[in-house]
Amino acid sequence: MEYISLFVKSIFVDNMIFAYFLGMCSYLAVSKNVKTANGLGIAVIFVLLCTLPLNYLLNKFVLQPGALSWLGDSFKDVDLSFLSYILFIAVIAAFVQIVEMVVEKFLPSLYSSLGIFLPLIAVNCAILGGSLFMQQREFLNVGEAATYALGSGIGWWLAIVALAAIREKLAYSKVPAPLKGLGITFMVVGLMGMAFMTFMGISL
Amino acid sequence: MNTNSNVYTIVYTTIIVVIAAAILAIAAMALKPKQDANIKAETISQMLAASGLTDMNALSKMGNDQILAKYSENVKAAFLIDAAGNKTGELETAVDDIELQDNLKVENKNIASGDPSLPVYVFEKDGAEINVIPCYGAGLWGPIWGYIAFNADCTEIVGAYFDHASETPGLGAKIKDEAWFREQFVGKTVNFANADQLFRIVKGGAPKDDKSAVDAITGATMTCNGLDAALNTWFKAYMPFLQKKAGAAGIDEAGCCGEGCCGEGCGGDHEHCNGEHNHQHNHQEG
Amino acid sequence: MNEDLKKTLLNPIFKGNPITVLVLGICSSLAVTVQLKGACVMALSVIIVTGLSSLIVSLLRNSIPNRVRIIVQLVVVAMMVILVDQVLRAYAYSIDKQLSVYIGLIITNCIVMGRIEAFALGNKPIPSLLDGLANGAGYGLILIIVAFFRELLGSGTLFGFRVLPESYVPNNLVILPPMALIILGCIVWVQRSIQKDLQEK
Repeated sequence: MEYISLFVKSIFVDNMIFAYFLGMCSYLAVSKNVKTANGLGIAVIFVLLCTLPLNYLLNKFVLQPGALSWLGDSFKDVDLSFLSYILFIAVIAAFVQIVEMVVEKFLPSLYSSLGIFLPLIAVNCAILGGSLFMQQREFLNVGEAATYALGSGIGWWLAIVALAAIREKLAYSKVPAPLKGLGITFMVVGLMGMAFMTFMGISL
Repeated sequence: MNTNSNVYTIVYTTIIVVIAAAILAIAAMALKPKQDANIKAETISQMLAASGLTDMNALSKMGNDQILAKYSENVKAAFLIDAAGNKTGELETAVDDIELQDNLKVENKNIASGDPSLPVYVFEKDGAEINVIPCYGAGLWGPIWGYIAFNADCTEIVGAYFDHASETPGLGAKIKDEAWFREQFVGKTVNFANADQLFRIVKGGAPKDDKSAVDAITGATMTCNGLDAALNTWFKAYMPFLQKKAGAAGIDEAGCCGEGCCGEGCGGDHEHCNGEHNHQHNHQEG
Repeated sequence: MNEDLKKTLLNPIFKGNPITVLVLGICSSLAVTVQLKGACVMALSVIIVTGLSSLIVSLLRNSIPNRVRIIVQLVVVAMMVILVDQVLRAYAYSIDKQLSVYIGLIITNCIVMGRIEAFALGNKPIPSLLDGLANGAGYGLILIIVAFFRELLGSGTLFGFRVLPESYVPNNLVILPPMALIILGCIVWVQRSIQKDLQEK
């Protein structure tokens, strides 16, 4: 039950885009049509789902104050949390790199549809943000971390696909010249965010 | 030089990583004492603000050292209790090595598993004892926590202070920012009669005659619900202790209180008192 | 040379503003625009990080192996961010708490990496430093404008001091995240009405 609650909450209430503005760069840049937006969204779900539990374990067994106590008593007071940013981003960058190489080698068809987005994702704030929020919230186990990752990823995917669909239609609307493109997109995202705020009262 | 050869790449990245790690380690070590002092001073400030000994405005103008000194001067005792409300250990209160039990996140989990080690900080204000206990829970976006101050026999709340990690400024953040919200707690009491609802934060206004309820903040329902849950969880965990205090109130007035009673003999004494529910008997012993 | 430097310094603040023109780095940091104080500290942190990491990468630019370029850049940026975070935690603890994870997210702020890739890798250290600082400043400017309106309308205060009369009822909507985007949309609107050449077809 808690997993379902966490899952729903991370999709709708704690939405990466609308509540935290995470991953905005690629969100605005790649949301011009639904097909590419879909591809990027799925890539984000995948990378989040893999790196977040990985970083969770890293945090739990290496970075947290006292996390190294499994090495012996003399390591009990070691606090490496100042290294978390650098290690999290290293894990993400390395993971993305490896996936890119593997996909390119073994699944060329997938690579041609998904591969172009992978390098973009290493510097997507949503991925690093997910790990940092995970660290702040202290999930109890890997399962919760993975649930959160899946939920956030799906939330991001939902947001980008929805925006892309709106922007496809927006191309035919009459928008004041100075607002065309970027300006109106910001406002649309803002309005979508307000719509998503209605989910805030949900409690499961 | 060929900057694209494998050996060069590996050596280069190794050097960069080692240099970066060294710089960071040095910076982290150099700044660590200062950071820890900040955290400690902040926790203490919140307790002092809750106890009513001073307010946040005055505290924010003080340096860390002054805050620690203020704490050390005013605190009479600080100790840990277990789930049954029995004292299990002392916390150091001397200014140079003040000990706090401030890892509320861990204790929150321990409460759920039934084996907590909960802190009680006893301050003295105008000759009267004030017992300060913490609470901790989840708000809308992140953790929220606070300190509640009780009078000597823990029958009445005399002050409270709340803080949060990332509630919405102007909405949920009001639990910290708005004085009226925490002032409401003054004069309230924990409703021991109803173990499922020891305290309530009521949306739309608490009933005037309800001694265990306060008004919620408009527009901050989720944060207030979180705080409501946090208070109930922690009050419940502290209930044996609070009730013992309230039950022992009789002897407190008879002169056995404070240091003498809350020293070694305290645990046993109170246990006794609680076990028999007999004030008369206890009085004679005291 | 001096003209060039001046251009490097001023262009990113207005005409080539990283947020409203290049659409870089909107990412996380809008979330810190609820109050001016937080926005100012965030702006300052971004300026320092973009400036210094551009400088360092520019100093290293001839020796970085091309294949691990991105990783090396990330290490440099992450190092600067951690340093800023550690210093804030030691000397401005209350603000650091308010900014929470968003300081860490400067690492993935596209402005930092974007300027390193586009400018610092191909230019001398001093212009790179200035380019980094200026882009950080252009970014900070937008943050501060957004924060100004959000704090003024949302709380009736500026830097925590009350400026609107008590009778003003704070507009809670402005404080919620979506309004940051709408205000940003308005800034783009104003800027593009003035500089017509930026309008999209």
